[in-house]
Order: sequence, then structure tokens, then C-alpha cells
Amino acid sequence: MQRSRARSIAIWTVVAIVGAVAWAIVALVRGEQISAAWLIFAALASYAIAYRFYARFIVRRVLEVDDKRATPAERLDNGIDYQPTDRRVLFGHHFAAIAGAGPLVGPVLAAQMGYLPGTIWIIVGVIFAGAVQDMVILFFSMRRDGKSLGQMARDEIGPVGGVAALLAVFSIMIILLAVLALVVVNALAESPWGTFSLAMTIPIALFMGFYLRVIRPGRVLETTAIGVTLLLLAIIAGGFVQDSGLADAFTLSPEAIAFCLIAYGFVASVLPVWMLLAPRDYLSTFMKIGVIALLAVGIIVTLPVMQNEAVTKFASSGEGPVFAGALFPFVFITIACGALSGFHSLIASGTTPKMIEKESQVRIIGYGAMLTESFVAVMAIIAASIIEPGLYYAMNTPAGVLGDSVQSASQAVNGLGFQITPGELSAAAAAVDEETLVARTGGAPTLAIGMSEIFAGATAESLKAFWYHFAIMFEALFILTTVDAGTRVGRFMLQDTLGNVYKPFARVSWKPGLWLTSALVVGAWGYFLYAGVTNPLGGINQLFPLFGIANQLLAAVALTVATTLLIKAGKLKWAWVTGIPLAWDAAVTLTASYQKVFSDVPTLGFFAQRDRFQEALDNGEVLAPAQSLDDMQAVVTNSTVDGILAALFAVLIIVVIADAARVWVKAIRAREPLPTTETPPEESHLVAPSGLFPTAEERAMLAGANGGAARFGRDGARQPERTGR
Amino acid sequence: MTLREAMSGVRWYLREVAGETAYDRYVEHARREHPGEPVMSRRDFERRRQDAREARPQARCC
Repeated sequence: MQRSRARSIAIWTVVAIVGAVAWAIVALVRGEQISAAWLIFAALASYAIAYRFYARFIVRRVLEVDDKRATPAERLDNGIDYQPTDRRVLFGHHFAAIAGAGPLVGPVLAAQMGYLPGTIWIIVGVIFAGAVQDMVILFFSMRRDGKSLGQMARDEIGPVGGVAALLAVFSIMIILLAVLALVVVNALAESPWGTFSLAMTIPIALFMGFYLRVIRPGRVLETTAIGVTLLLLAIIAGGFVQDSGLADAFTLSPEAIAFCLIAYGFVASVLPVWMLLAPRDYLSTFMKIGVIALLAVGIIVTLPVMQNEAVTKFASSGEGPVFAGALFPFVFITIACGALSGFHSLIASGTTPKMIEKESQVRIIGYGAMLTESFVAVMAIIAASIIEPGLYYAMNTPAGVLGDSVQSASQAVNGLGFQITPGELSAAAAAVDEETLVARTGGAPTLAIGMSEIFAGATAESLKAFWYHFAIMFEALFILTTVDAGTRVGRFMLQDTLGNVYKPFARVSWKPGLWLTSALVVGAWGYFLYAGVTNPLGGINQLFPLFGIANQLLAAVALTVATTLLIKAGKLKWAWVTGIPLAWDAAVTLTASYQKVFSDVPTLGFFAQRDRFQEALDNGEVLAPAQSLDDMQAVVTNSTVDGILAALFAVLIIVVIADAARVWVKAIRAREPLPTTETPPEESHLVAPSGLFPTAEERAMLAGANGGAARFGRDGARQPERTGR
Repeated sequence: MTLREAMSGVRWYLREVAGETAYDRYVEHARREHPGEPVMSRRDFERRRQDAREARPQARCC
């Protein structure tokens, strides 16, 4: 015992030293380029320490998990939604559900402030805020038979907080879908290779759907293997289409792609799940995990050098071209997923809590999966920072600023203080077989360039174009899956709400209601998508901050619910665990909304921008980058709508927190903990390890429960002496 | 751990994650909890399982 303790101290000392050295190099080296390896070391060492010490402290002291208490999966096991699931398998499901395009796109945009602020926020933010939120919400939902965040907000805070939470969820869904669709538009516009390969995913998914439904029911792996093969063939074929007579048919304008996506979103969401969504889901999940693993290997093999500055001048001036605003609060808004993502609280209070075997497993599934997502974000910021800064700004500055030729773009980038010649810009586009890379905003093309450099460095330089389109396709693939799934979730909420007014709406199978609610949801995100595509100021520049604010608003709701639950349970002394991240998140989100609403700098404040363009419009003038009076009108309308939304988000946060504060005061004044809404405890008869690897003690318990049979595979077991249910 | 064990571990994991083992578990569950009652065929079971997703859509995050 003494020896293993000494060994453990030695190991953790080494981890701490490695982490400290890596952090020192990342943070302090100036004027020379550092290797990306230091970011990886700093991240991994910090995660390990946080998981081992902080997460364990929260689980044991704050939440007081109790493995003698049966989880809903054990008590309510019905073989459908409630089902004890191996922790490693559930980790895979949970991670696949929380990780998407967000942690890849946000860090790319935030790289305009330099790699240092983003990296610090991704790592520190996940340890103290993001992973804590995911784990704590998972725990509280698990103690309540898997109640959703909205239900918990209503039950714990009250009807006002509940309605505000519901509104927050719905509006973030709409903005999220619009922004993600916008990323796809910017990645595919005028690119026949990308458009062809993505279009091919539809027949591939349909084929997989029929195969799985009719020919080989349940053979998911076999079907997915066929699908992935076809997908790779589609990417290769895209290269030939690009050079053939078909190229024109697949060269679409941004507006055309936006309409295709809107039509796709509607049709996909009214088709049965098995036809399109389920097979797409398998494809994108396996692709996602595969590509993330490839990226990690690629970075470790090639050890690229950071070209980006640690901190750029835009961090303090707030005049960056990618998005407006200074480091505080906008880095923390732009990088939502990967550090703290409110959206995750919906997943953590969805299916995951109904499948968890043992209470102590919330640590690996809630905290661990979020650490993994954070690592994905670190890799994304690396991929964006190994690109020449000149190219980065030529790709990410709105088209209105760059003009439409490589010459004008080169000039504009020089004006920002970075260098790239027209020849270099054309060469960079030619290297990946694209017409142009100028103003390919949205993050996906930049990430694809970074990934293609890493992958080409690890394989062959001649494969660069393939890897670029592989990366584009992989991002677009799972964004479309999110668009389909998200439209369904939004529709479900709408059906539920309208069902209170007119009963048949609540019946999900009532076709007219289904079509109407689908059309409403698609229409809502489609409106923002179209406005973003046609916005002369650049859709990403205008909409991404709103998406970040909405996501952090949802995080504020989740952290408020968690803090309320801690205080109501008489754990005021531990309330800082979620209270401090809540205070930080509220400060960030409210400052950002305040600036977006009230700032008198036209690039930053929506209403200042509106006034500036409205005034010019009244005088019949056209202000750059607008090119016509119609453009001017579009800017005025968009700025007004976006400004109102930013204000609405701020009001929602204030309402939720104020309503919760009322409950906090009541709970603190009460001598006893307030009545709990937890399901009463029942004794557990399941044995399963809590961490990734079973401890010696757990192995002995398992061997006892399994009758001594140690085997690979599911190592959880039911104790032999089962008592009746 | 031998290569064969590692491969069988990977296979187990992929089958579990993909939900291929859901039917086996259902059969076991049905035999244990409702002995004597008919057990659905795999085709019917998978169909039911897919269609159940219709009623409770699950969000995919960003």
C-alpha cells in the first residue's frame, strides 16, 4: 500500500512538471515559433490532473455519488431507453452526441486573437466550467430518472425560469442550425468537387437505409463499412467531376446552395428516421471518430510549427476582421463548444442518464467525454495556427472587405498588417484544386487547409487536394446530420408546445402537424441562413457571435439549475463549484450582449450599425461593403433582427438567474434542506467498475459476481443473489 | 494481451457502440422476464427500434 502510494505521488509529480514546462513554453516564448507538441503536452497534462483530482473531488465530496444506489438504467430497465450500458460504450455514444462541428469551427475563428488566449480558455474553461457542467447535469438528471434540462428548470426554479429556459433552448437551436448550415454553404460554394461529394452522401445514405431496413436488418457495422467505402469513392470521384464537363452542374452560388440546404432540411426531417437520418448518423459518427483520431496521429507524427502569433493585436484593439470585439468577452463567446457548451446540457439530460450503470461513472462519461471534446478543440486551434497568417486572413475576412480578386485580397490583407502575394494566394488554391480561397469564411475551409497540410505531411504532398476535400466532406457530412437531427428536435418542442393549444399537434404522427411544424422550424433557421448568405457584411462575421451568445446562455441556464440544486440540497458550501463558472459565464455573455446591443462602434454594436446604414440609406448613399441600395436595406434589416435577438438573450439570462436567486434565498433561509425532487433511493444489485480500467478491488467484486469468469467485453455484472423488483 | 484478444475486444466494442448487440440483449431480457411469451424476430425488432427513434428525436451537438 505504502509503495503504490509513493509510486502514485511520483507519477503525478512527473505529470505536473511536464504540464508546467509545456505551459511555460506555450505562454512565455515570444518572437520565435514553437512546436504544436507543447500545446498537446500542456493540454494532456492539465486534463490528467483535473480528471484525477478535481473531478474526483466533485464526484465524492460535492455530488456524493453512491454506488450502492441503483441508477434509473437498473431500476427501470425496459430494454428500450432505460438500459444499463457499459461505461466505455456509453462514453462513445455520449461523445458522439456532444462532439460536432462546434469545437472545430470556433477555435479556428478565435485564432484571429492568436493561439494563446484560445488555448488557455479551451483548457482552463473545460476543467472548471464545461466538463463540470456536463458531469453535474448528467448526475442531477440521473438522480431524477433522466429528466430533461427544461423539466428540471421548471421543477427547481419555477414556471418563469422554466419558460425562459425553454425559449433559450429553442432559440439556440435555430441559430445553431443556421450558423452550421452557413458553414457548409461557405465550404461548398463554387466548389464542384465538394458539392459533388456531399451530394453523393444522399444516395449513399438512402442505399444504406434500405440495406439496413430490408436486406440485412441490424447489421450496422457491415452497412457502415459499405457506406464509408462509397463515401471515399465519392471523394475521389469528385476530383474527376471537377475536371469534367459535369463541373458546371455542381458549381453552385452560395444562394443556390442555401436553398438546396433548406429544401434538404425540410425533406430529410419529414422522411422516416430509418431512411436518411439513421444511416447518416452511423456514417458521420464513425467518420468523426476516425478523423479525430487521424488528426491526433497526424499532429504527433508531423509535429507542425505554429505560424500564428501567440497574441495578435486584434486581442486588444477589437478590430479583427473575422469577428468584431476585444478578447474579453469575445474569445469566450467564439469558442463555446470545446470549453463550455450549454448545448451539452441537453445531451447530458437526454438519453445518457438513462443508460448509466453506476453513479460514479458520471466522472468518466460526463467529465471525461468533455475533456476529449476539448482536446479536439485544441487540435483545431493548432490546425488553424500552422497556416501562414496571411492566408488565414485572406480566407477568413468577409468578402466585402477582400474584394473579388487575389490582387484586391492581397492588398486588403496587407492593409491588416499581414503579408500574402496574389501569386501565393493562387498557388494555395491550386494546391487543393479549388477555384479560389479568398473569403472562404466559416472556419471549415481553413480547418481543411490546416488538416490537409498535416495529413499531406504525414502521407504525400500530392494527396493535398484529396485531404482538403476529405476534410471538407467530413465536416459537411456531420453538419448535415446535425441539421436534420436538430430540425427534428426543434419540431418536437414546437409540436409539444402547440399541442397545448390544439391537441392533435402533440401527436407526433399527425401528418399535417408534422409538415407544418417542420416547415416552421426549417423556415426559421432558413431565414437566418439566407440572411447570412446574402449579408454584405459577411454572415459568419455577423451571426457567429449570436450563436456563441446563445450557446453560453444555455450554459448559464444549466449552471443555474445545477447551483440551485446544490443549494436546495443544503450544500451551500459547495455551491461555488458551479457558482463560479456561472458567474464567469454570466459576465461573459452579458458583456457580449451588452456590447452587441449598446456599443456605439458600428462594427460591434448591431444598433449602431443599423443607424449608420439607415442614415446613409435615407440620404440615398451606398456604404462599402454594400454595393446597392438593396444591400443597404439588407444590412439595416439584419442588424435590427440580430440586435433584438442579442437583447432577448440577455433578458432571458437575467430572468433565469433572478428567478433562481429567489429560490436560493428561500433555500438558504430555510433551516433544513428544501424537499428533494430526487427519486427515492433503491439498493443496487449491479457491479461495474467506475473508471475506464477496473481497479483490483473492482476486479475481485466482478469475479465474484461473474462466478469467477473474467472475460473481455462487458465487465459489468448482476450480483447472483438478486432480490425481486 | 494477445493480438487475438485485442481484436475480439475491438470487435466487441464496435458491435456494442453500433447497437448490433441490442437484439441479443432483447432476446435475453424477454426470455428472462417474460418466459413463455413469443420473442420478436430480428427483422421486427430492428424495425420497432428504428421507428421508436421517430418519437424521441435526439439532438446532435455542434
